[in-house]
Amino acid sequence: MFDPEYLLAQVPGLLRGLGMTLVVTAISIALAAAIGLVGAAMRIQRVPVLSQLAAAYVELIRNTPILVQLFFLFYGLPAVGMKMSLFWTGVVCLTLWGGAYQIENLRGGLAAVDRGLREAALALNLRPRNFMRYVAVPVALRVSLPSMLNTAISQLKNSSYLQTIGLAELTFVALDRVATDFRALEMFAALGVIYVALVFALSAVAARLETRLNRPYAT
Amino acid sequence: MALLFDNWVFISKGLVETFKLAGVSLLCATLLAVVLGTVSLLRVPYLGKVIRGAVELFRAVPLIVNIFFFYFVAPTLGMDLSPFASVSLGLSLWGGANGTEIVRGGLTSISAHQWQSARALGLTTWQVFRFIVWPQALKSILPPYAGLLTLMVQGTSLGALVGVGEFLRTGQIIVERTAVMQGESPAFVVYSAVLLTYFVICSCISQLSRHLERRFRAAAWAEAPRPLRME
Repeated sequence: MFDPEYLLAQVPGLLRGLGMTLVVTAISIALAAAIGLVGAAMRIQRVPVLSQLAAAYVELIRNTPILVQLFFLFYGLPAVGMKMSLFWTGVVCLTLWGGAYQIENLRGGLAAVDRGLREAALALNLRPRNFMRYVAVPVALRVSLPSMLNTAISQLKNSSYLQTIGLAELTFVALDRVATDFRALEMFAALGVIYVALVFALSAVAARLETRLNRPYAT
Repeated sequence: MALLFDNWVFISKGLVETFKLAGVSLLCATLLAVVLGTVSLLRVPYLGKVIRGAVELFRAVPLIVNIFFFYFVAPTLGMDLSPFASVSLGLSLWGGANGTEIVRGGLTSISAHQWQSARALGLTTWQVFRFIVWPQALKSILPPYAGLLTLMVQGTSLGALVGVGEFLRTGQIIVERTAVMQGESPAFVVYSAVLLTYFVICSCISQLSRHLERRFRAAAWAEAPRPLRME
């Protein structure tokens, strides 16, 4: 029933899909972190208008299914003349989704920055911008890192949603084979193993990064 | 607007289906989470490891793969699952795994002293859970659990991919039908409306959970000085 040889024959295709998954995810993780940084800074500095916009954006993304967001980007926007390639629709979707969560993650970290630090920075005549850059963000990053890495891992898992619009990533490749060859068990076993391995690898990287960043505080 | 009026019976059917899906999955997931979360605290040999393994597996695999797994693999194993059943099964197990993690985290946050004191007073394991650990742990379990609930409601939209006639599928069908009949795609309007609807539902749940949390905290304060009543 389970045919290892069939699975072996599918390895090249799956690897191509895996490559696409990794590329889309990597770009989205980086962009989402950037959105998170800017958005959280706006929220915490209470920049008028932009702060409220960021808050609305976060609420909207967190309270709607990513699948509907994707359909909106892929079917809804082209209907009013905004066309993007398949690849960039995927990147934009994952980035917007992750960005909202990263804003919240970083905001939590920034809120945890000691008040005394802000007062000290003010006393030293640091501009708010420089306070953020040299004091608050480095401290906040350490606090937020675990949750930020969790969001990054979720972005990796959510890249599988992109199969619904036909982007040839890992899940798409596997389901495509299932549709033609009807060997569901093999393909899903492969999918399971690959995703679990990817998530565990990312978690391991996350754990190392955490220890590295906490080294100054280690006893 | 005309789209809404023309299709409102169809749309409300989709919404009902979404709520049914969410309700069934939530019920099964909560049952799984409470039982597995509690059991994994009991230090039963091997069982704890098995539960952790299963939880890690279901958390690591994307939800969409999870649901497709039951949709495609169950028939090859001789099980005949309807689309509705395969989605609720996938969603329940996914929610159960995440819920187990939340429950376990909440229960382990209760300090060992509580256990030792309760034991010293002669309470049985069941009584410790029922009267000491669970009431206190609920405070830290409830907020993340409400978050999980919104994620599960959002997860029901995956039903659209395997042919459950839930809310997103309803929207898809309306888009296709109108595009064929009128020659232009109402995708932008329809998907905006779908987004908005999910937003309202999930925001309500978030608000409700915040409210409950506050109420709960107040109630816990009021009840604290009273002696424990035991059957």
